[in-house]
Amino acid sequence: MVGSISTSWLLSSPSNSKSVSGSDSFSFLATLKPFRYYPFQSRSQDRISPRSPFQSIQIRAGIRELRERIDSVKNTQKITEAMKLVAAARVRRAQEAVINCRPFTETLVGVLHSINQCAQLEDIDFPLSIVRPVKRVALVVVTGDKGLCGGFNNAVIKKANLRVQELKQRGISCVLISVGKKGNAYFSRRDDVDVDKFIEGGGVFPTAKEAQVIADDVFSLFVSEEVDKVELVYTKFVSLVKSDPVIHTLLPLSMKGESCDVKGECVDAMEDEMFRLTSKDGKLAVERTKLEAEKPEISPLMQFEQDPVQILDAMMPLYLNSQILRALQESLASELASRMSAMSNATDNAVELKKNLTVAYNRQRQAKITGELLEIVAGAEALRGS
Amino acid sequence: MTLNLCVLTPNRIVWDSEVKEIILSTNSGQIGVLPNHAPIATAVDIGILKIRLNNQWLTMALMGGFARIGNNEITILVNDAEKNSDIDPQEAQQTLEIAEANLRKAEGKRQTIEANLALRRARTRVEALNTI
Repeated sequence: MVGSISTSWLLSSPSNSKSVSGSDSFSFLATLKPFRYYPFQSRSQDRISPRSPFQSIQIRAGIRELRERIDSVKNTQKITEAMKLVAAARVRRAQEAVINCRPFTETLVGVLHSINQCAQLEDIDFPLSIVRPVKRVALVVVTGDKGLCGGFNNAVIKKANLRVQELKQRGISCVLISVGKKGNAYFSRRDDVDVDKFIEGGGVFPTAKEAQVIADDVFSLFVSEEVDKVELVYTKFVSLVKSDPVIHTLLPLSMKGESCDVKGECVDAMEDEMFRLTSKDGKLAVERTKLEAEKPEISPLMQFEQDPVQILDAMMPLYLNSQILRALQESLASELASRMSAMSNATDNAVELKKNLTVAYNRQRQAKITGELLEIVAGAEALRGS
Repeated sequence: MTLNLCVLTPNRIVWDSEVKEIILSTNSGQIGVLPNHAPIATAVDIGILKIRLNNQWLTMALMGGFARIGNNEITILVNDAEKNSDIDPQEAQQTLEIAEANLRKAEGKRQTIEANLALRRARTRVEALNTI
């Protein structure tokens, strides 16, 4: 009767086979059967893994639990390994998407330059490039949709928070536009931050449509003078293990087509940076190359169908869209890279945990066999003696 | 002598091949472009682009942008472009109705600006399906 209770409990517990850290379920088991199984030691002893294999970790549990734990760790390892491979494949596709963006941005910036030269409109202000005294700033925060990506989402959120504090200290109020489920969840819980809109990322890869939604919002906020400056907080894809949350000024646009950092450092859009996933020494690595785009020659006879002012007016939203899309894509690439490294670490941990569990299991098994042998021999001796 | 048309959106190249003629909607009306057109630069309105390939017309909905016409080379940069074969009629109609409802509900300068833009886009998509 006692045995049946324990087996039925084992079969019915759902947390047993899924979580590797279900210490509460095992202590419950200990209270059920205090004499048959040793109480499960605290989790910290499992994690402290000394380098020497002979200095064993104190995992005391029944053989059956150990076997089940080994199975569950094996399953978890398969999952994390698969997630790592999927993330690696997606990083490659994300980089292709960035490459696809280039024709658009190149042509746009080229024409912008040539029109500027032709028309010499340095003194005319367009709706999107008006510089006003800053009283209110909109921050667009780009986070991911899914978890299991290491410190990615937290890093961006922390950076955004810092910026909000900074601006508040200067007496500038802030409004937030949060893109991505993780950011949405965080900012919807915080009451002291004013959020204008929550935008969910749609589908796996960001397309022009999503960039359009954000651009529309930002455009209307800026033009209706509700905010005086729009900044974009996203993660720049530096390398496979490192990603950097950065803040870029989105609006007001600079006439020369430069994209400026908050500190005022400007990157000329003609010298665009490209990242490429290559293999170095058999391992995946990221190369960043600065590409100098050739400034396309514009025919001097080029006539403007409309007023140059109107034409430039039509081009500014295009530029805004392409900047936003680029930020979304880089964010996605960094999210995938950090998921890759997080899952790779998880896989390594799972391998090590499985090894330790297997050692403990074998030791238990052998102890049991030895015990049985001793009993038999002792019984035989006793019979022979009497 | 054929025109080489390139329609680019921020995330992909929608069209990159030779055509016989195009009709483009600009801010100042529709213009038709035949081979050996004079080089001009123009803003493109939210509207329809018609492409002719060998006596067959193809329609595309463009969401505003810029066009540059050079020596038999047309480059159109738009925020978004959809071929009429890629648009789902029911979905386009629904989007149009939602946009109209939003415009009626819009209050204040900012919401009106947004609603107007959305409405024009939705209308263009429905028109692209209707014109042949």
